Amino acid sequence: MNPDVANAIPKLVEAGALPPEGAPRLLRVARGELVSVHGELRALLYLRVLLVTGGVGLLVKENLDRIGPLAIAVALGLAAAAALVWVARTAPAFSWREVPSPNLGFDYILLLGVLLAAADLAYVEVKFTPLGESWTWHLLIVAAFTALAAFRFDSRIVFSLALSTFAAWRGVSAARFGTDLWLRTEDAVRWNAIGCGALFVVLGFLLKRADRKAHFEPLAVTLGWLLILGGLGSGMWESASWAGWAIALLLVSAGLAAGAYRARRFPLFAFGVVAGYVALSRLALEGLRLETLGCFWFFLTPLLVIAGLILAQRRMKEPA
Amino acid sequence: MTRDAAQADRNAAVRAAARGWKQAGAIDEAALAAVAAAYPDDRHRLGPVFRVLVFLFTIIAINGASGFVWALINSAGEIQTLVILLVFGVALLVLTEIQVTKMRRAQGGSEAATSLVGIGYLVVFTGWTADKAGLSSLHVIAVVLLAAAFLFAGAAWRWGYPLYAGASLVALLAIFTAFPQGRLAWIVLPLLAAPVLARLAESARLPPAHRASCAAVLGVALVGLYVALNIASYDSGWLEPDLSIWKLRPAIWGPSVRWIFIATTALVPIVYLALGLRSRRWIFLMLGLGTGIASLITLRWYVHLAPLWAVLTVSGAALVAAVFALRRYLDSAPGKERHGFTAEPLFEDLARRRILEAGAAVMSLSPEARPVHEEPKFAGGGGEFGGGGSSSEF
Repeated sequence: MNPDVANAIPKLVEAGALPPEGAPRLLRVARGELVSVHGELRALLYLRVLLVTGGVGLLVKENLDRIGPLAIAVALGLAAAAALVWVARTAPAFSWREVPSPNLGFDYILLLGVLLAAADLAYVEVKFTPLGESWTWHLLIVAAFTALAAFRFDSRIVFSLALSTFAAWRGVSAARFGTDLWLRTEDAVRWNAIGCGALFVVLGFLLKRADRKAHFEPLAVTLGWLLILGGLGSGMWESASWAGWAIALLLVSAGLAAGAYRARRFPLFAFGVVAGYVALSRLALEGLRLETLGCFWFFLTPLLVIAGLILAQRRMKEPA
Repeated sequence: MTRDAAQADRNAAVRAAARGWKQAGAIDEAALAAVAAAYPDDRHRLGPVFRVLVFLFTIIAINGASGFVWALINSAGEIQTLVILLVFGVALLVLTEIQVTKMRRAQGGSEAATSLVGIGYLVVFTGWTADKAGLSSLHVIAVVLLAAAFLFAGAAWRWGYPLYAGASLVALLAIFTAFPQGRLAWIVLPLLAAPVLARLAESARLPPAHRASCAAVLGVALVGLYVALNIASYDSGWLEPDLSIWKLRPAIWGPSVRWIFIATTALVPIVYLALGLRSRRWIFLMLGLGTGIASLITLRWYVHLAPLWAVLTVSGAALVAAVFALRRYLDSAPGKERHGFTAEPLFEDLARRRILEAGAAVMSLSPEARPVHEEPKFAGGGGEFGGGGSSSEF
């Protein structure tokens, strides 16, 4: 209920600002006479996915000996197949453009099917070890499968799962094999994160440029930049090479902020500003040996950043 | 709130609603512009991203400034530190007042940061002073909570922050856990306050920020009432801490009243849901649902009806069946609505829907789902916090 809006609607109709035919419905909503439970139903469907996947996980863990690995693997596979078959039968025709969901539960049943299939694959890998020493590849298989499902059924939820699984594959592979190739596991993981991030950013760029599932672009680009900045930032805590990482982070985040400023991409602009400030502070406090003036630095520089932000807001005109 | 700040808040609520109408396709760009002209904005506001950035950097700057002054004095003496806390705390609250009234700032990030850090400094000052005065640790905590309750309540009333209003009642209720029969206060206070707060949360006499503050306090009160009446809370003595503060002790009312708590654990969610359905108040509906889930978890804690995996899987399946049944029930009615409820997304729901979906998406680490094909008429393409009397300050 919103009494101010309820009071305003008749006045706006009288002044000709609102079309009279739509006003009664607006008024009912403002008076609290008509309430939507749409959001609540969707939240419950999310909750349902969590409950079922949690229950299945516990089932596998607690009943492994009693049921047997083959039965569990088959049961998980059947459950996943049931969900995905329903999705395939219900889904509208494929399009490279954004396709509206055919019904309220579609995205959630798709997510459930994909999660169950991924759990089944992981279970098979752990129990029957078909990939042997190369078990990390099963993450790549899951990433590829979820990416295919995301594109076919136009699901941003599943696309985010595909990206995060791909990143997990690179992270786990680097942590496991990095010492052989890179001498240090930390470096291997870091470079993998940066490379993975760059790949996602390029993927997002290509999707938008080709106008193929262009609405996936923000997800790929946001996750990509988080990985790049996180990877560069993690190097700043190295004892020997921290300065190089800090300078790299400063340059990259400055570039990101500038690019986001021009493109009016507000969240990316925020990433650039915050990461740039962290890198600059690291360089100033230790590189310039400002330890004793640390408080002064953290008093003065945020004020300069705020002044810059207010100027930038005027140019970028983010809606309040 | 000052009179003009309240008027600005009312105008902002109308503009936010109009943006919802526009996003839902109920009005066009010209109508939106006409609403904006009829309900103009005289505040200096920032968009959500800039607001968060300014909030963050203001907090860094304030703490840098206080640390710098502390370093200049070059003393670790407690008196000097206390003076810095007091002076900075008061100065920051004055600065907030100036920003909100003279500078006409709203949703700008900086005024929220100065108010939050100012309150934080004064609360720490109060606690430290109480400790120096030789109070026991339990009483120091009570003094700190009392100071927090007063300061948050004052800030919510003066500057219209609903989050502060809720925090104020949280602090107030927490004080009672330091005293015998605190559970009684957790029951009586919400029971007395809830009817008044429910009315105030919809009162046209209050500006939207104050209505949202009342709703926040109501929400905390209802959660507090449920916690006080839950059987697990009673058995575990959640509200009756021993003098060695964090050590819990069993409930003090004895086993003879235990059955009352068993009954209330089951009844409170039903009452909340019934009130929500009858009055169509969102907060009762949500809390009815939330406390219902909490009561089911409590039941599972005491009574092992089935293995946990079976409970989770079956409740997941039951949930989806209930959702689809409810959806079908509502959709099958004329105009797709029954008793004032609809499963269609509505204009006023955009902020609330975003909060719900963002919460669920965070839980499952994924973005929200797509708009549904069945409702192209009202499918919104986004939304902002701040409509419907809510505040998007944080």
